[in-house]
Amino acid sequence: MIAACPATDRSMPPASAAADHDTDDVHAAAAGDRLAFQRLYRRHVERIHGALCRLAGYDHARAEDLTQEAFVRAWQKLPGFRHESAFGTWLYRLAINVALMELRARRADPVGYVDEDKLPEHGETPFCAAEREELERAIGKLPPRARAVLVLHDIEGWRHEEIGSELDMAVGTSKAQLHRARQLLRRALGETP
Amino acid sequence: MNEFEWRQQMRSLRQPIEPGRDLWGAIDAALEAHDGNLTAPQAARHATRQPWLLAAALASAFLLAGGIGLRLHRNATTATDGATALAKSAWNPSDPRLSGAAIELDAARLELQQAMQQSPHSPALQRLLARTEQQQTQLRHLVHEAG
Repeated sequence: MIAACPATDRSMPPASAAADHDTDDVHAAAAGDRLAFQRLYRRHVERIHGALCRLAGYDHARAEDLTQEAFVRAWQKLPGFRHESAFGTWLYRLAINVALMELRARRADPVGYVDEDKLPEHGETPFCAAEREELERAIGKLPPRARAVLVLHDIEGWRHEEIGSELDMAVGTSKAQLHRARQLLRRALGETP
Repeated sequence: MNEFEWRQQMRSLRQPIEPGRDLWGAIDAALEAHDGNLTAPQAARHATRQPWLLAAALASAFLLAGGIGLRLHRNATTATDGATALAKSAWNPSDPRLSGAAIELDAARLELQQAMQQSPHSPALQRLLARTEQQQTQLRHLVHEAG
């Protein structure tokens, strides 16, 4: 049973907003200061959890496991962080990679078809909170790899080249997965593809 | 819905989401477990970077060996070469099997105090110092028990 993650009703803060506060804490955490790492966690957890929640199809428990794993991985890799990008950007990519690795480990069906009976009932164009929940539920029912492509491209704003590289698939396959995911979503939302 | 509306709607999903529970406790426990279970090469690198960790580990090993030795040979005679050891340590038991542990513990404490001058707020250093001082107390207790 999938429990939907409650999205906070505010826009995504830019990664750079926290960057000014991060530098000292990143250095301290890399040297083993766990209190500094806890401050980094508090500053970034909602953004990271949001992305992982979407990739996990709004499966609350799984998204929490992934978030936890992402921060543990970040702690382990922090001494190797070269400050070539903002910490928030580095952490975000690392967290997405954790989720995609889990997806690969689960050997998710690359072209799996979703059981359309399990998709939500048709609805109107979603924009209010209830309709957004409906859209989130529909995304959660997509085949895992198609969902990953849709989330990364349409929500997170990645390019097909980046998605193909991370998911170890050709650019054309990424485009095909996106097309299929959109079709399924539109159908679930009562639109003609 | 046209393409623009679709994209706008999808981007509207890009929001921060607060976890249903505070995950820090579990993460902190995992970090503790990770730091306590380094592989041998990692431990070697870690020890090279932070020699006080090696000193603390050595002190613990000496303490354990000393404690076991004391209990097994409680009636053994005391040694007389304490003068040399006293020169190296602020406090030193007369029993030679415990004097090594006392020296190591004292050296570890001094190194930890030096390290804390550089990183006074390091929780790891604070924990290690507290543990070392606790081991010194235990050692004193063992010496007292042995008479």
